[in-house]
Amino acid sequence: MAYVSMGEAHRRITDYLTRFSDAITAQNAASLRRLLAVTSDSHLLLSLADALNIVQDSNRLVKQNEKFGQYGEMLVPLLRALQCYRIGQLVDSYSAFEKFANAFIQEFRNWETAWALEALYVIAYEIRVLAERADRELASSKKTTEKLKGAGSFLMKVFGVLAGKGPKRVGALYITCQLFKIYFKLGTVHLCRSVIRSIETARIFDFEEFPSRDKVTYMYYTGRLEVFNENFPAADQKLSYALSHCIPYHEANLRMILKYLIPVKLSLGILALDSMLENYNLVEYKDIVRALRQGDLRLLRYALQENEDRFLRSGVYLVLEKLELQVYRRLIKKIHVIQKHKDPSKAHQIKLEVIVKAMNWLEIEMDIDEVECIVAMLIYKNLVKGYFAHKSKVLVLSKQDPFPKLNGKPV
Amino acid sequence: MNRRNKDDHRSDDPSSSSSASNSSRSYLNRDKPSHKNPNRIIPDSTMATQGWRGRRPDAAESDVPLNRANSQRFRLQGQHDDDDEERGGCGSDPRFIVGTCPFMCPEKERLQRERLRDLAVFERLDGDPARTSSDLAVKKFCRTISMKDIEASDVRPLPVLDRTLNYLLDLFDSSDHPFVTVHDFIFDRTRSIRQDLSMQNIIGDQAISLYEKMVKFHVISHHKLRKCATKGPPTSPMHHLNMEQLIKSLASLYNLYDINRKLDCDCENEAEFRSLYIFLHLGSQGHNHIMGESLSFWLSRLPPSVIRSKEMLFARTILRLYHVGNFWRFFYCISKEATYLQFCMIETCINEVRAEALACINHGGYKLHPYPLKLLCEILKMKESDLEYFCGLCGLETSVDEMGNRVLSLKQTSFSHPKGGLNTYDYSGLEQLMREMKI
Repeated sequence: MAYVSMGEAHRRITDYLTRFSDAITAQNAASLRRLLAVTSDSHLLLSLADALNIVQDSNRLVKQNEKFGQYGEMLVPLLRALQCYRIGQLVDSYSAFEKFANAFIQEFRNWETAWALEALYVIAYEIRVLAERADRELASSKKTTEKLKGAGSFLMKVFGVLAGKGPKRVGALYITCQLFKIYFKLGTVHLCRSVIRSIETARIFDFEEFPSRDKVTYMYYTGRLEVFNENFPAADQKLSYALSHCIPYHEANLRMILKYLIPVKLSLGILALDSMLENYNLVEYKDIVRALRQGDLRLLRYALQENEDRFLRSGVYLVLEKLELQVYRRLIKKIHVIQKHKDPSKAHQIKLEVIVKAMNWLEIEMDIDEVECIVAMLIYKNLVKGYFAHKSKVLVLSKQDPFPKLNGKPV
Repeated sequence: MNRRNKDDHRSDDPSSSSSASNSSRSYLNRDKPSHKNPNRIIPDSTMATQGWRGRRPDAAESDVPLNRANSQRFRLQGQHDDDDEERGGCGSDPRFIVGTCPFMCPEKERLQRERLRDLAVFERLDGDPARTSSDLAVKKFCRTISMKDIEASDVRPLPVLDRTLNYLLDLFDSSDHPFVTVHDFIFDRTRSIRQDLSMQNIIGDQAISLYEKMVKFHVISHHKLRKCATKGPPTSPMHHLNMEQLIKSLASLYNLYDINRKLDCDCENEAEFRSLYIFLHLGSQGHNHIMGESLSFWLSRLPPSVIRSKEMLFARTILRLYHVGNFWRFFYCISKEATYLQFCMIETCINEVRAEALACINHGGYKLHPYPLKLLCEILKMKESDLEYFCGLCGLETSVDEMGNRVLSLKQTSFSHPKGGLNTYDYSGLEQLMREMKI
């Protein structure tokens, strides 16, 4: 912390207060929001924090001038939040910021136009980030972590303020997305349901009106929820929307979307290209795709195990596991192709022994009874067309279209 | 309110509770073989240091009554305020009681129920419906209590709850009364135990042990109640209520595991009890969303040590085999690895899998090569007579081949999934599972 004279400190604080009140008077959201980003490393706020440490009674500065005093309810806690943040008292910083945010919302309600939305967005972001950091501080001293939950309650309140007929309603989707982030982090994703219902069924909102950026984020999170619930067609639709509307150079975001879209597509029988996986650094799916292409069950299991933690954490493990069905299908298809080369007239008859041998070669123990049961199941699920003859232990493939295409329906 | 009474937590009657556990042969009191000391039911001196009331992380402020916001932490995500019922239906009371009742049933209640002749069959002294004793009466579950009216003398402290639970579970195998009667009694009285635990916000090792026993009770009841319903659907209201409480107890148990983990304690049986949750998702009856969240999401938040445990891996394998449709390996794995508790949970979907298996074989097999029943029996773990009957329920005919073996003819067009009324057939090799549990 550089040395700052008392006079200079006073000047900085007064300058900040002036900017704040001017921004509100002029209804200038762009100026205002820069003053609220407590967790950012902006030079303005860093130097302000230094000044606050010198001037012990910044509140007096606020109250002694009517120009700033009228915003005292907001300014006093805001300054405290900033000061606490910079000296590492995160819990106090959060509590003060929450106070500020509540006071801000009171004012926001009274402003007729939606001029302050950009500032509100910053507040929504900051309150979430501060809450996360405050909870970390609480956790390390073994206390109850409740700040993020509190931030969630605050944002629900904000959502209620925005969910009306006026121009402010376009802000609702941004707030929704912040709420999603909170609920995902807290593990209370069931709470997403009520906001989703409000967005999707209430007649107040027209989805197309919302800013594109917010729509992409919204579709990303709702798409992820569909993946958790294994509604693959819905997940495909939402994540694909997010993908196609995402700005192309936001590569990190594209990667996040693809991380969930790829397993969905795989379930629908659509493979991803290696080049794409490499481009977006999603190499954890490479072996899985290869296993699907080659009908290699051992490789699938290996890939699942190698990346078990990662897949479990993102909630796609159970989805990927079920790709086993497609791997069986591919294996039988390959055997069929090989046999066609040797003797086309007999190619459609596959001895179950051959499949057993293939499995053993892949170091997978499977006896002929199990193979027969799997073959019966594949036929029943229409992944393979034909029949099996128990006494001769043979799978007889249909001469026409023995491996029906999956046609985008989940297996 | 003085909440840290370390001195009065000793059980009143250590000898009686330990002799009760010694003589018990029921599954529920028998701990797993690896347990250090199977008779360690009464609190010993280690309890004093741990503080059986549960050392909450903010215990420094123990003189301040806990507010409700803190207590929310002790609820499993997604478990909404159903738990209010366990606390006696009062949503706003902030304080936790310290119970002092030394009997299984508070004296006031015992005398009142004697007067009103409201005594269960097990509580009657010499069969007299108007007389009971402090050795026989057990506190009933009460849905509508207001926390304001509760006195400490109405609530049983942990050692008494422990003793009460052991007493109840000893009755589980009693053959003097029909199982539904036994179940009904234990069902209600254990619910009251959970209520007392909840009111006092008891956490820690002993609470976990109590909940584990109560979950076991519900799981094994789940299995036994199916056998009782010989006529009509296997899911009677009693069955449904039992499942409801099973899920609630599991939720509370998991909550305790999570809290315990924060206090750096390891729970021996956690893996097995977590695995039971996975089996709840099996079958068309299986709830896709239990307690409001998807299974994938639940798994994503489990600690790696639990996820990679033998019991969890088994459960995940069974789930995969079920969804992929590999019925051969489904039954093979169950026979090889399932514990009795796990089997009781899986049992719900076993007949469904068997029906699917018949559908597959009937659909894909060559008409001129009927499938030998003997082989099917081995795969589906059924007795031949049961399998024949089951085929009939599925609309399939069996016949005899030229060598005299019973076979299933294939490509029958009359297959249909049996609509309800499925009996529980014997599972071949179940005795093996049960034998292993005895040791």
